[in-house]
Parts: sequence; C-alpha cells; structure tokens
Amino acid sequence: MEAVTGILNTTIAVVFTWVGYKTARILWKYTPYSYPNARIKAMEAKLLTEQKFNELAESRTLQNFVVNLEDTDYKDYLADVSSYTVEEVERALERALAGTYGLMFRILPKRSRGFFGLLLEGWDVRNIANVVKAKLANEPASDYVVELGTMLPKVKAMAEAKTLEEILVILEGTPYEEVYQKLLLGEIDVTRFETELYRMHYGKLLSYALSRKDDERIILEEFVRLSIDRVNILTALRAKKAGLSAEETKPMLIPGGTVKLDPLLHVDSFDMALAELDSTKYGQVIRDVREEIEKDLSVLEKALNDHIIERISELERFYPLSIATPLSYVLRKEREIRKLRAIAKLIENGVEPERIKELAGEVA
Amino acid sequence: MDPIVYVSLGAALAAGLAGAASAFGVGVAGAAAAGVVAEDEKNFKNALILEGLPMTQSIYGLITLFLILLSAGIIGGGFKFAQATTDNIVKSAILFGAGLTVGLTGLSAIPQGIIASAGIGAVAKNPKTFTQGIIFAAMAETMAIFGLVGALIMIATGVGL
Repeated sequence: MEAVTGILNTTIAVVFTWVGYKTARILWKYTPYSYPNARIKAMEAKLLTEQKFNELAESRTLQNFVVNLEDTDYKDYLADVSSYTVEEVERALERALAGTYGLMFRILPKRSRGFFGLLLEGWDVRNIANVVKAKLANEPASDYVVELGTMLPKVKAMAEAKTLEEILVILEGTPYEEVYQKLLLGEIDVTRFETELYRMHYGKLLSYALSRKDDERIILEEFVRLSIDRVNILTALRAKKAGLSAEETKPMLIPGGTVKLDPLLHVDSFDMALAELDSTKYGQVIRDVREEIEKDLSVLEKALNDHIIERISELERFYPLSIATPLSYVLRKEREIRKLRAIAKLIENGVEPERIKELAGEVA
Repeated sequence: MDPIVYVSLGAALAAGLAGAASAFGVGVAGAAAAGVVAEDEKNFKNALILEGLPMTQSIYGLITLFLILLSAGIIGGGFKFAQATTDNIVKSAILFGAGLTVGLTGLSAIPQGIIASAGIGAVAKNPKTFTQGIIFAAMAETMAIFGLVGALIMIATGVGL
C-alpha cells in the first residue's frame, strides 16, 4: 500500500510541477500584451480609410483640410493650428506621431518597450544627419528638423548653432560625438558620416532584436533585417544610377541585411542591377513596379515600405499577442502621416483634387 | 495518506485550480477589454461577453466540489470513509482523481482568456468578427466539459452519490 501511495504522490508532484511551469510561461508570455494589443486593435479601426483620404484631397484649402481632420484622432494635435500654413500642419502631424510613440512606450510591457525607444532614436539619427547636411550646405537647418526623437531639444539647439564646432559641444556625451568629431577633422565626408550614424542605429536595433527570445526575436529580427535590406537596396541602386563603382558603394552599405549585394554592385548597368535582385526574396516586389523604378526610385522605396508592413502584418496574424501588433500599427501610422503631409503640401501648392488623389497614393 | 486527505484534496483542487485558472483567464481578457473600451466605449458590450467566457471553468470546479463532498458524506451526514480500509482508500482516491481531472482541465480557462483577449482586439477592429470570436474562445471550453463529464462518471460509478 505504501508503495502505491508513494508512486501516486510522486506522479502528482511531477504533474503539478510541469503544469505550474507551463502555466507560468504562458501567463508571462501573453498577459503583458493583452491590454496594449487590444487597445491598438481598437486604434487600428480608427486609421484613415481611402474614402477619408479622398475627402481630404478635395479640401482645396489647408483650413478645410484641418476641419476635415476634426473627427479623427488628429483633432487634439491640430487644435493649436491657427495660421494654417503647411509647416504648422506638418508640425502638428509630427506631434501626433510622437504621441503614438509615447503611447506605445507607456502601454507596452517593459521587456519590449525598449525597441520603440530605439525606433525613436532613429528619428534622432535622421534629424542629426539632416541638420549637419543643411549646415554644410548653408541652408536653414531648422526647416529639416522633424519634431520627433529622444533628443529633440539638442537637435533644435544644433539647428540654431552658429558654427560646426558648437554642434560638437551639443553632441558631447552622446553616442554621435565621436563620428561627428571625425567629420569635423575631415577624416570622413558627410556621406560617410550619415552612413556611420545609420550603421550605429541599425546595429543597436539588431543587437536588441537578437537579445530577445522566442516569437519576440523572430518578429524583431525579421523587421530589422527587412529595414536594413530596404536601405541597402536603395543605396546600391542609387549608387548604380549615379555610376559609382562597387568599391565606392560598399562603405555606404549597412551590415546585417539578408540580401547579398556584391553581384549587384559589380554589374555594368542599372537594368542589370535590377535583374540581379530578381532572384532575391524581393524579386516579386521589384517586378510589380519595375517600369516605374527606372524613372523614379522613390516608387521602389514605397514598395519596400509596403512590403515590410505586409510582412509584419503577416507575423501579427501568426502571433496576435506579441510585439508585431504595435510594430505594425506604428508603421501604418507613419505611412498615414506621410500621406497626410503629402496631401497638405499638394493643397498648399494649389494642385487639383483629382491629381492630389493620384500623387498622394504614389508618395506614401 | 488518510482517506480524508484524498477527499479534501480532490475537492480543493477541483474548485481551487479551476477557480484560479478562471481568474487568470478573466484577468487576461479583462485587460484586453479595458484596452478596447479606453479607445471606444461602444466596445463594452462585446468585450464583456468575451471576457466572461473563462468564468465557466470555476463553475465546473464548484459543482465537482459539491459532488465530492456529497458522495463522501461530508455534506449531509458523517464522513463515509473514516476507516483507512483498502476499499475506503480506493474510493477516496477516485474522488481525488475526479477533483484533479476537473482542476487540470479547468486550466483551459487560461488559454481561453488568451483567445478571448485576441478576440476582443479583433472585434474592436472589425465588429463583424464577434460571433467567430465567441466560437474560437468556446473551443477551449470543450476540454473543461470533457473533464467534468469524466469526473461525473468517476464519482457516479466509482463511489456513488
């Protein structure tokens, strides 16, 4: 009898340990995404429809454009717009995007919100590169600052700086100080400076993604590598169009992508470069817009952006309670804001509504 | 172990495990419900219905607890298996098994809460998916029903009410 009792007790202990471990793992994995992902799904329902974009395209004036957005989530951000200039509307839209990032940062679980912090740093990189390029070209740098990022006050101070040395003082203590110093000393040119900033940024994103586990790692790694591929493909094709050699182009590429660009860099023409990409996983994306790419590379940029969103949405369907949902939402929101900015600019330029509808679809 | 330990453990595990699982399930779905209502109050009704689905496992646990206590005589009379005879130990072990079955299958409330949570998000995005959301979440219920049926058979045939 005692032996039977012993076997029974041991079995119960094993079963309970296993069930407890599995249950704890499930709860740890899914519970933190329950609130944010459901909320984001509800927010997705409020993303602007094609019909709304058509209404906006018919606004004719920026004042009407702002009024047309009053029944959307942009209402609060557009409340301060008074002079109805395109710059003011753009600033309001940028604040809306910053608000989206802020919300993600607040509602997402601690273990994944860091990635959105790094995505925000991407806007710092873009701002710093734009300000430095504007300063070197003697253009008003503040026009190129996007109201987004983790170090916006510093970026604004950089835009106001009188000299290039002053910018170095502002960047002191940031990760960008060293590379800017190299630019000032003439060790690298501005193109290399920009590449180094983006290399640093994508390097951080990739190491964050690789430090995650399970589905979080799968999703983030896929997103980062797709983003690196997008940048590298566009850089390589632009270089090919500009007639740069493989040796000149290679230092401009960012490590960590999935596409081997070496054969592409060594072909003679732009057409052959596109043909090289045909056998990669981006072959279908490129084939769909092949004719337009030859005239305008921004078409490919849009196609690759859409491909990334599509891929992350696929992952979202596969992992409903994961970081794919917020990531997909932020990418869609960015695309929506790009489209709104384009419409606002076209209205300001007095373009006809029918033409705005065509162009807005092409740019965003 | 004494028969009373088996019987008490069986009853406690049936109601305790299933109840705790229901609490987790409702918690996960409730957090999702709060999320969608924060964006739009119109989502309240649909979210509430989906949130309530993982509660049923705790009801099965409670039914089993009563049946175990009833068949062991703890409710409505004296404890029937006070003597540690082989027959009494076997019967009390059957009651323990019945409770454990309902408790473990009641853990389906946790994945049900996760499914309901995803369903609440889907319904907030597209209200037409409400019925499908209910069906998906209800699928997890079958395991708990199997567990309850199994426990009833064990109690009725092994011990008798």
